[in-house]
Amino acid sequence: MHPLPAPTAVIADDERLMREQIADRLKEAWPELSIVGEAGNGSEAVAMVRSLEPNIAFLDISMPGMDGIQAAQALAGQVHVVFVTAHDQYAISAFEQGAVDYLLKPADPERVALTCQRLRARLEQAPNPMNELLAQLSKRLGAGGTNPSEYMRWIQASVGATIRMIPTSDILFFRAEDKYTRVQTRGFEALIRKPIKELIDELDPDEFWQIHRSTVVRVDAVDQVSRDFRGRQIVHLKGSEEKLEVSRTFNHLFKQM
Amino acid sequence: MINQATEGNTLNTDPRSPGIDNAGGQSGPATQRRASKGSLREIGDAIVAVWWRFFDWLAVVSWKKLALVSLLGLILAGILKHPVPFLMVIIASIIIKVVAGGKRRAELTADEATKRAETEQLERTVLEARMEALQAQIEPHFLFNTLASIDQLIQTDPPRASKMQQSLIRYLRTAMPQMRDGKRPTLGQQVDLCSAFLEIMSVRMEGRLQPVVTIPEGLKSAVFPSMMLQTLVENAIKHGLEPKPEGGRLEIGAEIVDGLLAVHVLDNGIGFMPKAEAGVGLANVRERLKALYKGRAELIISVPPAGGTCATIKVPYEIAPAASPD
Repeated sequence: MHPLPAPTAVIADDERLMREQIADRLKEAWPELSIVGEAGNGSEAVAMVRSLEPNIAFLDISMPGMDGIQAAQALAGQVHVVFVTAHDQYAISAFEQGAVDYLLKPADPERVALTCQRLRARLEQAPNPMNELLAQLSKRLGAGGTNPSEYMRWIQASVGATIRMIPTSDILFFRAEDKYTRVQTRGFEALIRKPIKELIDELDPDEFWQIHRSTVVRVDAVDQVSRDFRGRQIVHLKGSEEKLEVSRTFNHLFKQM
Repeated sequence: MINQATEGNTLNTDPRSPGIDNAGGQSGPATQRRASKGSLREIGDAIVAVWWRFFDWLAVVSWKKLALVSLLGLILAGILKHPVPFLMVIIASIIIKVVAGGKRRAELTADEATKRAETEQLERTVLEARMEALQAQIEPHFLFNTLASIDQLIQTDPPRASKMQQSLIRYLRTAMPQMRDGKRPTLGQQVDLCSAFLEIMSVRMEGRLQPVVTIPEGLKSAVFPSMMLQTLVENAIKHGLEPKPEGGRLEIGAEIVDGLLAVHVLDNGIGFMPKAEAGVGLANVRERLKALYKGRAELIISVPPAGGTCATIKVPYEIAPAASPD
């Protein structure tokens, strides 16, 4: 082995105490490694790696703005990445299958020593772009709950002078009224500007049904459907006296089983 | 009263068991004797069962229907030319209905009401058990990160490590399913619990978290359900402030509005996403408010003019009794 120039590293974690901890442990396990920078979030880390070109980046997985996985994706192939995490069971199982290393917080000195040993052996090679692993990781962590749903779960509407976030599960129905759409809940009504036509695309079709050009009803709020003397279907709601007409186009929704 | 009603029920179903006895007893004089004794008892039981059923029917049937049935019976008895015994049966029925009908009817209603109450009680217990299981969910991420921070402070700043550890103990003690000490939780206790959590998070997030707690002294003795304020504070940090690189302010306040105690948690974080999945936390708060106060309490999420999120819980204003059990 020929001598290498002193290796360099950056540490990214949103908590300063945690950055300190990693730095302290690294100093003990690998005195020659010099920490050239510390970042408080993913985008700072990316900028730092690009400008300082360190050999290694220690990235915390959960960071504000851009997280550790996204930062690693942005830096693919440019730096050897070691992920740091307190408790991400999905991530841990994924790391164990992958080529890249990871550290658990609080960092155990022996484990850090092992990581340093692996890194020393790998420094001569080009950094692994880890495409597959990263794709898998971001998918797994996304499934953990931070991913936004495909449909609206909250309606932002003005009630009096305040803007409220109304959970869709509280809503009985939406109804077009002049320029506005009325949002009716059990306890109050609110107005939004979004027309029914746009709204229907953003609502979960399993949760809401359009029953008329101007009416969308929450399926679970339907108590029963009757027919009036002209044979039109009328929807009765749980917790409201209001009755909603079903237009012919949507009659098939309430066909008998 | 209720005992008697259930007794009637048992008698209705009882005759089945001697029947099973009979099926096996075909040979031998002893078995035959036992069989005949069994069938005698069976007949007796059947008569008692029929009597109770008749009694129940008599108690709840309307006078009009009873008159109609009597008339039909009388005509039938006339055809069979034995009207006198039947007339006696009718008169006896009328007397029984007058004397015991009301009481029996009340018993049956009471029985039904008890059954319904028992089901409701059971449902409530199940709900409460589920709530407690949810309450005990302490974020592993929070716990491990906090322990890692304490580990680091032990080496660099032992007094601060000790303080943080004490905050963690205080937090864990109250975040565990609440011990039933017979007292109802107060707003003061809930705010203390949140302060422990905020102390921990302030050490970890440093300047990125600026907590402001302003609860009027007089409102601290008000009754406030457990673990709800905690959920709002955790949400504000996790979804509002932590994802914001520069962090921000978190404010807890309380006031009386129209006879309701309104407690709010306000942050100037990244704000609420309309497509964010409604978390277990908020759904849990809603469900518990419904279970505890029927329609008289609510959780309101609003968007303050300056951005961020404001979550408000409104419950009926009630001062906690000094030490009397709930």
